[in-house]
Amino acid sequence: MNRYERWAAAAAALMLVAGAAIFLYAPTDYLQGPVQRIFYLHVSSAIAAYGCFAVVLVGGIIYLRTENVVADRFARAGALVGVVFTTVTLVMGMLWAKPIWGSFWTWDARLTSTLVLWIIYAGYLLVRRLSDPGRQAARLAAVVGIFGFIDVPVVHFSVTWWRTQHPGPIIVNDALPAQMLTTFFLTMACTLVLAAVMVWVRYRIETLTDERQHIAEAVPVVAAREPEPVP
Amino acid sequence: MNPFRVALAVARKDIRSEWRTREMVPALAQFIVLALLIGNFGFQIDARNAPAIAPGILWLALVFAGLVAFGRTFAAEREQASLEAMLMTPASPVAIFAGKAIAASLLLVICEAVLLPALTLFFGTPFTGDVVAAVLLATVGMAALGVMFAAIVARVRARELLLPLLTLPLWIPFIIAGGQAVQSAMGLPGNYQEAIGLLIDFDILFVVLTSLAARFVLEE
Repeated sequence: MNRYERWAAAAAALMLVAGAAIFLYAPTDYLQGPVQRIFYLHVSSAIAAYGCFAVVLVGGIIYLRTENVVADRFARAGALVGVVFTTVTLVMGMLWAKPIWGSFWTWDARLTSTLVLWIIYAGYLLVRRLSDPGRQAARLAAVVGIFGFIDVPVVHFSVTWWRTQHPGPIIVNDALPAQMLTTFFLTMACTLVLAAVMVWVRYRIETLTDERQHIAEAVPVVAAREPEPVP
Repeated sequence: MNPFRVALAVARKDIRSEWRTREMVPALAQFIVLALLIGNFGFQIDARNAPAIAPGILWLALVFAGLVAFGRTFAAEREQASLEAMLMTPASPVAIFAGKAIAASLLLVICEAVLLPALTLFFGTPFTGDVVAAVLLATVGMAALGVMFAAIVARVRARELLLPLLTLPLWIPFIIAGGQAVQSAMGLPGNYQEAIGLLIDFDILFVVLTSLAARFVLEE
């Protein structure tokens, strides 16, 4: 077992601990019943997705300023993991919405902006897939990632800016009993660890891909800018 | 080099080349009439539901005409490799980008000059200054974003596929605010002042952001 596998196993074990807390420790919601337990993973994975997209944003800005390939690899890793966690958020939300709201989907500001977020970063991944790897692809994708991040605050504040069917912030409003709050913070910490490990493993994969293609190191950055010989 | 003169020169070049070839404008005008035709059949329009549906058709037609127009923005440059030549001059990339954006937004304004009267003609919606102002304000930001993504996809494979995927999500703010403004200008519920304010905010935000990004997008 190498250290990546050890960390992955540890993250999976932590998620099992969170699962145990969700199903065994947290009390059942009086109104919604057991389905409310979706809340813990639904919100945690949304926060993990924000974090991943922040990695894409920061990585993109650093890459545009310094052309540091490490920043670009982290941005690539963050985008992929962020899309995974956004998918988890959307799917869990839909499963929760069906019994409580009566339909899987409603065109509410938060749901719509989250879907747009998913589309934006799926587009980021497509830009990476469809452009030839190298400086140009990294720079163009960095711009896409930075623009895409505009949607993150929109998603986050949509529940306060518009009247939505989706509930507003309940953690900061102190609306949860202590056991639920403990479970939530435990789940959130475990999910963030999982996200960080996933980004890290993905970063390693991106590094190996770059090395295999002899692009990151083999092509010097100055080559593209060599001046024309003076006749 | 004065960046304003560079921008105007680039815009003038694009407009002159369009004037001489007359490729885009007739095609876009026809595209818009077709979009209205499809809207008519898709929604089964009659005198009663026309006022409620027409604003939606306006934005659908405008957005897709815009994608077609912006998809072509860098086509000529790519075929002749003239973008590289422009970037070799001491002109700043931001000024070149601004010139392309001005020309592209003029193309979109021409689309609107066909679309808005046609909408009034076919669906009987009011053709007022309020509607025109909302659509023109949305054009500014949509053009800035559209040209930026057109410059990005000009460098990748399957660009026709990717341009809508990247551009449409970021046009959504303009469609939300512009949609609200046009709806209220056409007599449906909505706060016109607030929507226009939002449009101006989005315009400023995206014009500033795209100008900052222009250098990274255009440079070879």
